Amino acid sequence: MTELQFRKDLYASPAVAVAIEAFSSFADIERETRDDVEIVRLTAKEGEDEVALAGELANYVLGATVDGVASEEAAS
Amino acid sequence: MNEDHQVTAEETAEGVVLSFEESIYPKDAVFGAAYTLLDRCFVHIDRDGTHLKVRLRVKPGLSIQTDLLAGEFESEALAQAWRREIIRENQSLIEGMTTRAVGGAAGPPGLDDLLDEDLGDLGDAFDDPLGIAVSWEEKYGKGETEASAASDDKAKGSEGGE
Repeated sequence: MTELQFRKDLYASPAVAVAIEAFSSFADIERETRDDVEIVRLTAKEGEDEVALAGELANYVLGATVDGVASEEAAS
Repeated sequence: MNEDHQVTAEETAEGVVLSFEESIYPKDAVFGAAYTLLDRCFVHIDRDGTHLKVRLRVKPGLSIQTDLLAGEFESEALAQAWRREIIRENQSLIEGMTTRAVGGAAGPPGLDDLLDEDLGDLGDAFDDPLGIAVSWEEKYGKGETEASAASDDKAKGSEGGE
């Protein structure tokens, strides 16, 4: 299992939700929301590279935060 | 690593960790720089006091030197920060030009727009205290106009006969 932490003052919380949805077919993902941080625990499905998946998920969250895609989806 | 520096880089087993002083490099600038490297490395950003910590890890299958990656990230962060500063300084100019461009694209103003427009000191320029701007029909009436026009025709006819 790999754990990722995203600070809420840096990353958009809806971006985390969008990323989890995008990667849910490749890994079992749990999300825990605390006061100042979003914690994502990821276990890759068989045949998947967990380290690479975790990195790509982190990149996805960052990209969605910059793009504002997450906020648009949350608004719609 | 000296914490007083605005930017520091530290190589780790996995990649490189960059630290940016947030008062010099705003969050948006650091995120903008990170965005440009998403295709080549895994990026994770965290905060440590007044510093933003950026962890870069080269993606599997790519052979990129971490010091080059760190240098590129620093340059991009500086460019992003400077670009935002330029936009901030010229915000009113940009907004003014945009407003003019959009206004011009809307086409010429209609009659109602012109009538509604505040003319300032020119507001009394179209006043007519001497009644000069009164039309012929309004001043002499339609019947008189026809009568005078007929007499004009008659006079012209007699002039032609001579």
